[in-house]
Amino acid sequence: MQSDPMEGHTAKAFDGALTQLRLHTVGMGGLVIDQVSTAVRALLDADASLAQTVLSRELQVNEMERAVDREAFELIALHQPVAGDLRMATAVSRITVELERAGDESKKIARFASRMASGEPQGPVRAVARYLQHMAELTSGMLRDAVRALDESDSDLADQVRARDSELDAEFAAALRQLLTLAMQDQRYLGVTIDTVFALKGLERIGDHAKNIAEQVVFVASGRDLRHSKKISA
Amino acid sequence: MEATVANDEAARNTHTGAGQAGSATPRVSIAVDDTRRSRTLNVKAAVDNLSFYYGQHRALKNLTIPIAERQVTALIGPSGCGKSTFLRCFNRMHDLQPDTRYEGSITLHPDNLNLIGAGVDPIEVRMRIGMVFQKPNPFPKSVFENVAYGLRLRGLRNRAALAEEVEKALRGSALWDEVKDRLQDSALALSGGQMQRLCIARALATTPEILLFDEPTSALDPIATAKIEELISTLRDQVTVLIVTHNMQQAARVSDYTAFMYLGELIEFDEAAKIFTNPAKKATEDYITGRYG
Repeated sequence: MQSDPMEGHTAKAFDGALTQLRLHTVGMGGLVIDQVSTAVRALLDADASLAQTVLSRELQVNEMERAVDREAFELIALHQPVAGDLRMATAVSRITVELERAGDESKKIARFASRMASGEPQGPVRAVARYLQHMAELTSGMLRDAVRALDESDSDLADQVRARDSELDAEFAAALRQLLTLAMQDQRYLGVTIDTVFALKGLERIGDHAKNIAEQVVFVASGRDLRHSKKISA
Repeated sequence: MEATVANDEAARNTHTGAGQAGSATPRVSIAVDDTRRSRTLNVKAAVDNLSFYYGQHRALKNLTIPIAERQVTALIGPSGCGKSTFLRCFNRMHDLQPDTRYEGSITLHPDNLNLIGAGVDPIEVRMRIGMVFQKPNPFPKSVFENVAYGLRLRGLRNRAALAEEVEKALRGSALWDEVKDRLQDSALALSGGQMQRLCIARALATTPEILLFDEPTSALDPIATAKIEELISTLRDQVTVLIVTHNMQQAARVSDYTAFMYLGELIEFDEAAKIFTNPAKKATEDYITGRYG
């Protein structure tokens, strides 16, 4: 049984610093989740305005990564945390990197959406729209639950997130087969097809980032380091 | 014989053979998990079921801890948890107080001497187990005489041999370069940090097997503290070290093994790296993360 990582310290300032650190990480997570769903919506609807929203908020994600990481660094320097507190501080540093990379994937999808909005052929995207939609829902859900698991120190929820990564991988493989069939039938849209593969791969990578965040939540709760461990099934 | 030590994970630390007359020095194994390598070490002192009483008050309750040879073991815990009482059992400091008694054993290896056995001479014990206190307590004599004192007690009279041993001890306590030109000056003229290292040299001169440190840096500034900590790290090459400290970061920095005590009981004993990153017990976690009181 672990203590709640945020509370109960004799030094209340330390409680406050840890709580702020977690809150800011969760806040960054909220923005990145929105970036993912907005980017995919922009792609499916070929909506330039939504794509621009994602691109303009990318700087904010980057700044949040720097700020939260600096906060974790200062907390280590000033409070010298140990045990669960130290695991929280180091996990948050790793989580911000995962979130920033998920934000980067969203940015790439948004750029593709901008090109779609300016008249590129939509055939390949239409062909896998159902997969894009489903993968976006899966990745957003995984990210949301990973961030919630962090917020609520819920390692059971984190385990569920890890299990869902296989489903996402299967969807990606199925979408890829669909696109390959399309490319073989009609090679005029090869460029857009490749961009669509990258968008699908981006969503699959976001799922990996969500899984990595979930692993960090387990690390905070129990000290178990699950990085590079075998996948678990749902 | 199972020697773990208040740890309900399956026998992480086991130690076998302690106290068996005529047996080889027992060894302690630290089991591996997925991130740590196994280490097997000689046990220098096996504390087995040790209890200690001040009158009717039971200050230590059935402690069982293997003290690994040439390693640094730190004792941490809140004030009144019994860590200093535990330390003082090793060189029979409690014998000076009336109405106290020991139960259990502290077996010193390799000769299986029970340090708290009724027939064991405390003077003999103190010859083998040195102690350094919280406040530096040099004798009001010269630097040289402070170190030579224990050697003379042991019967060393030869002037050249004495000088050689004094230099060796002062070098061992990283003080030689600072005092080699003032060996005949009063020890009381040294700085606090130097006095403490002189006390360590005094303890080292008689080549103890175990060196006990009771809050050795609590009266020192950060630089003097760092020098003592560095010294403790180097001492592990020649002597087994047991240190009581209130400073958790110090325990983390200097110790190989850490024991957390509370209300006279051993709550958890493990490698320092494990205790300070992922302790098994909530009480340990609460204490080291500052959630007590």
